[in-house]
Amino acid sequence: MLRAFLALLLLTGLTAQPGHAQEANLQDLLQEHQAQIIKPSRTKVGPAIEALASSGLPSVPLFLEKWRDKNVYVAEDGLFYVVAGGTATDVSTGEPVSGVDADTLDPIRPNGGVRRVINEALVEFQLSDPDITRRTEAVDAISRNLDPSQVEPLSKAIENETNAALKLRKQRLLNYLAARYGETTEARIDAIKALKDDLSVDGRAVLSQILATSTEAAPNLPEDENIARVLEPGTDISRADAYAMIEDKADLPPVLSASEIRTALEANVEGAKVAGVSVGTLTTQDARAAAYDRLAATGAVAPRATEDTIGETLAAWTIYDVYDEDDTAVTEAARDTQNAVNTRVGVSQTADLALDAISLASIYFLAAIGLAITFGVMGVINMAHGEFIMMGAYTGYVVQQIIPNYTLSLVVALPLAFIVTFAAGVAMERLVIRHLYTRPLETLLATFGISIALQQLAKNIFGTQARPLTSPSWLDGNWAINDVISISYIRVAIFVLALIFLGLLLFILKKTRLGLEVRAVTQNPRMAASMGINPDKIKMMTFGLGSGIAGIAGVAIGLYAKVTSEMGADYIVQSFMTVVVGGVGNVWGTLAGATMIGTLQKGIEWFNPSNTLAAQTYMILFIILFIQFRPKGIVALKGRAAGD
Amino acid sequence: MNRSFLAQNPSVLWFLVLLGLFTLVVTVLSEAFGVGFLSTSFVKTLGKTLCLCLIAIAMDVVWGYCGILSLGHFAFFGIGGYAIGMWLMYARTEGIVAESLSNQIIPPTSQELQDAIASQIFGVVGASEFPTLWTFAHSLPLQLLMILLVPGLLALVFGWLAFRSRVTGVYLSILTQAMTLALSLYLFQNDSGLRGNNGLSGLQNIPGAEGVPQSVISIWFLWGSALALGLGYVLFAWVVSGKMGSVIRAIRDDETRVRFLGYHVETYKLFVFTLTAVVAGIAGALYYPQAGIINPAEIAPIASIYLAVWVAIGGRGRLYGAVMGTVVVTLASSWFTGGGAPDVNLGVYTIQWTDWWLVLLGFSFVAVTLFFPQGLGGLVDKLKGAKA
Repeated sequence: MLRAFLALLLLTGLTAQPGHAQEANLQDLLQEHQAQIIKPSRTKVGPAIEALASSGLPSVPLFLEKWRDKNVYVAEDGLFYVVAGGTATDVSTGEPVSGVDADTLDPIRPNGGVRRVINEALVEFQLSDPDITRRTEAVDAISRNLDPSQVEPLSKAIENETNAALKLRKQRLLNYLAARYGETTEARIDAIKALKDDLSVDGRAVLSQILATSTEAAPNLPEDENIARVLEPGTDISRADAYAMIEDKADLPPVLSASEIRTALEANVEGAKVAGVSVGTLTTQDARAAAYDRLAATGAVAPRATEDTIGETLAAWTIYDVYDEDDTAVTEAARDTQNAVNTRVGVSQTADLALDAISLASIYFLAAIGLAITFGVMGVINMAHGEFIMMGAYTGYVVQQIIPNYTLSLVVALPLAFIVTFAAGVAMERLVIRHLYTRPLETLLATFGISIALQQLAKNIFGTQARPLTSPSWLDGNWAINDVISISYIRVAIFVLALIFLGLLLFILKKTRLGLEVRAVTQNPRMAASMGINPDKIKMMTFGLGSGIAGIAGVAIGLYAKVTSEMGADYIVQSFMTVVVGGVGNVWGTLAGATMIGTLQKGIEWFNPSNTLAAQTYMILFIILFIQFRPKGIVALKGRAAGD
Repeated sequence: MNRSFLAQNPSVLWFLVLLGLFTLVVTVLSEAFGVGFLSTSFVKTLGKTLCLCLIAIAMDVVWGYCGILSLGHFAFFGIGGYAIGMWLMYARTEGIVAESLSNQIIPPTSQELQDAIASQIFGVVGASEFPTLWTFAHSLPLQLLMILLVPGLLALVFGWLAFRSRVTGVYLSILTQAMTLALSLYLFQNDSGLRGNNGLSGLQNIPGAEGVPQSVISIWFLWGSALALGLGYVLFAWVVSGKMGSVIRAIRDDETRVRFLGYHVETYKLFVFTLTAVVAGIAGALYYPQAGIINPAEIAPIASIYLAVWVAIGGRGRLYGAVMGTVVVTLASSWFTGGGAPDVNLGVYTIQWTDWWLVLLGFSFVAVTLFFPQGLGGLVDKLKGAKA
C-alpha cells in the first residue's frame, strides 16, 4: 500500500513537475506581453516575439507555430491555451487542462503580416533546432523561396551548426541571398562571382533570376534602363507578337484573324451581299479582307491592321529585353558567371551522358554476348535468346519469393539463373538445333517457334502483370560526382558485372582447353574435328554457355527494369544489332558493337531528349547504313576463318 | 507463250478454278447476295485471309524461291494500308466537314476547309495542320500510285544498299527486321504525321458509298481481294517459271556459283525483292479497309516473322503451299483464340486454348521445321506422287 502510494507520488512528480515549471515560465512571459499577443499588429508584435525568442524556452517554437496556425485561445482571465481537437491544452506541455471548457475561450487570429513575422522567428528557431531533420527542413524551405528577411536568421544559425554538410548548405544559401539581395553592388558582385563553381540547380536558378528580363516596346531605346538586348521582329520575336505589344501601347487597330473577319462580315450581310459584293464570291481570304476594308471605310466595322500598317509600325518602334535588375555591374557579373557555369555544366553533362552511354552499353553487352558466342561458333541466330533473358529474370523473381533477404537471394539467383538457362540451352541444342546445322535460316524460325511458346508459357505461369525484382538496399540510390553527374548504383553494378563477364569470357576463350576448342570450331569445324576435337560437344557447351550468360543478364536487367514475359523481346533486336555491328564470333567485337550502339542511342537521345522513339528510329537507320560499309561488323574475322 | 506457260503449270489453273469457286460459294452464302449463312464479319475475315495469302505468296517468292529470308515484308504491307487509309480518312472527313460548313452564310474558303479537315483528323495528336506526307491524300489516283511507289521505292533503295554490299543470310534477315522495327517506331511517334499510335481508323467507311451496307461492301472487297490474289498468283507463277525462275532458284541454292556463271545476281534479287514489296503493298491496301483500322503495332517485327511461319508451315518453294499455310494458320488461330476450341480438362489442370494456342503454335512450328521441312505442300506432293 505504501509502496503503491510512493510509486504514484513518484509518477505524478515526474510528469507534473518539469511541466509545471515551464508552464509557469511561458505563461508568465505571455502574460507580460498579453496585449500584443491577443491583438497583434505587424508593427507592434516585434518586442513580444523578440522576448519569446530570447527566452530560450524549449516550448516557444511550438507555441509560435500554434499561434501562427490560429490554434491559440485566450480565457477570460487572460491565460493562454492551445486548443487541439476541441480540448484546451497547456501552452507548454500540450497536455489537456481540466476545468477549462474550450467553448468558452476566445480564439486569437493573427493577420497575414503578423504571421509572416512569426514565420521569420520560427525559421530562426528551426535553423538552430537540435533535430537535424528539422534544420534540414528549414534550409529546404528557405532555398525554395529566397527572401531578404532570411539573411539575418541564417547568418546567425551558421556559427553553431555542427553538421558540416548542412553548414556548407547554409553558407551557400547565405551566398545566394547575398547575390540577390546584398546591400552594396560590390557585395553582390563578390557573391555572384562565388557562384562560379556552383553547378547546383539552386545556384543556377539564382543567376537566372538575377538575369530575368521582360520584353518592352518603345519608340526609342530608353537610356536609363538596363537593356539586355534589342529584339528583331521576325527573327527574335514573331511579327504578330511584336505588333500586339505595340498595339496595346499606341492604341493601333488590331490584327484580325481569318475567323474574326468572317464573323464581322457575316454580321453585316444584307440580302446575300456584304459591302456591295455577293457572298458567293468571298471564297478566298484576299476577297474577304478587301470586303472588310470596304466595310471599315463606311464605318460599319472598326478598321483592322493591314500588312502595311504592321510593317510601318514595327519599323518605327523598338522591341527590347530589359533586365529586372537595374544595376548594370551586377547583371554583367551575373552574365559572365553564368557563361562560366554553363560551360562547366556542359562539360559535366557530357560526362554524365558518357556514363549513361557506358551503362547502356554494358546492358547491351550482357544481353548480346551470349548471342554472339553461339552465333560465332554455330552460325546460328537464336531467336529464343530474349526468352532466356526472361527465364533468368523469372528465376531471380522466384528465388526472391523463397529467400526474403535480398542480398542473399541475389547471391543465390545469379548462379541459379545460369544453371537454369544453361540447362535450357543445352536441351534446346540437343533437341532442335543439332538437327538443323545445315539449314541456318530454318534454325532462326525454329528458335522463333520456341520463343513464342516460351513467352506464352511464362504468361500462363506468371500472369501478364510485371513482377518486381527488388535490388538489395545497398544498391539503392545514386553515386553523385557533382550536381550534374550522377549514376545509380544498380547501373554501376551492371557495369561491373559486364566487366567481370568480359574478363571471364576472355579467360575461358584464351586460356582454357575449352576456349581453345571453341575457337578452333569457330574458325573451321571440319579441320577441328580432324584434329580430334568433338565439334558436337563443343557446340553443345557453347550453346549452354551463351544461354547461361543470357540468364545472368536477365537477373541484371530485371533489377532495374520490371520482369515481364515480353522483356526478352524488348532486348532481342538490339542484341542482334549489337552482334551484327560488332562482328561475329569475337568478344571484342561485341564489346565494340555494344559501346557503339549504347553511345549512339544516348547521343541521339541527347539531341532530341523528348523523343526516345525517334532516337531508336535514327539509330536503326544508322546501323542499316553502317552495315553497308562494314557488312561483317566492326571486328571482322579475316582470311580463311571468315568463311563465307 | 501464255498457253505454254499455263500448260507447264497446271496447278495455276487448278488454283484459279478453286479461288473462283470459293468466291462464288462465299457470295452465295453471304448476307448481301445470298442466303445469309455467313455473317458479314466472317466474310471480312475471309477477305482479309485472301489478302494475307497474297502477301504470303510474295513472301514465298522472295524466300522460298530466291532464298532471301526477309523479316520486313509486313512493313510494305503496312505502307500500302497507310497509303489507302490516308485517302479513305481524308475523303470521308472532307465529306463530313463540307456538310457541316455548308450552312454558313459565307461559303468557306479552301483554306478553311483544309484546316477543318486537318483539325478533325489530327486533333487526337494535338496537331491542326496537314503534314507534307498528306500532300496527295485528296486524290484517289495519286494515292493509289503511292501504294505501288512507296513500297517499291523503299524496297529498291533498301535492297540496292543491302545486296550491293553482299549482305546475305541471317544478316539480311536481321537487317530487314531492323527496317520494319525502325518504321514502326517512327510511326509510333505522335508527330510522325500519321496519328502516332492511334493509327488511321474508320477505314471500313468507303467515301462515295455511304448508302451501301457493310454486308455489300464486304463482298466487294472479297471479290477485289480474290481478283488480286488470282492475278498475283499468275504473275508470280510466271516469274518463277521459265529461265528467270531457274536463275532465281539457282541463286537460292548457290549464289556464288550463279555469279560465277555470269549472271548479275544482285539485279535478280533486287527485282524479286522490289516486285514482292509492291505486291505486299497492294495486299495491305486491300486488307486494311476490311480491317477498318491500321496502327503501327501492325508492322512490328513479329508480324513479319509470322508471315515466314505461314510460308514455312505451308511449305516453301510452292505458291499453293504459302496459300495453304496462311489459310490453315490464320483460321486455326482465330478458331483457337476466339474461343471456338473446346477446353481440355486434364483433371488437375484445364487447358484453355486462348492461353495455350501460342504454345501449341510455337511447338508445332518447331515440329514442322524438324520433321516436315516441305510443310503442308509437301504432303500434297506426296499424294500426287502416290497417284502417279
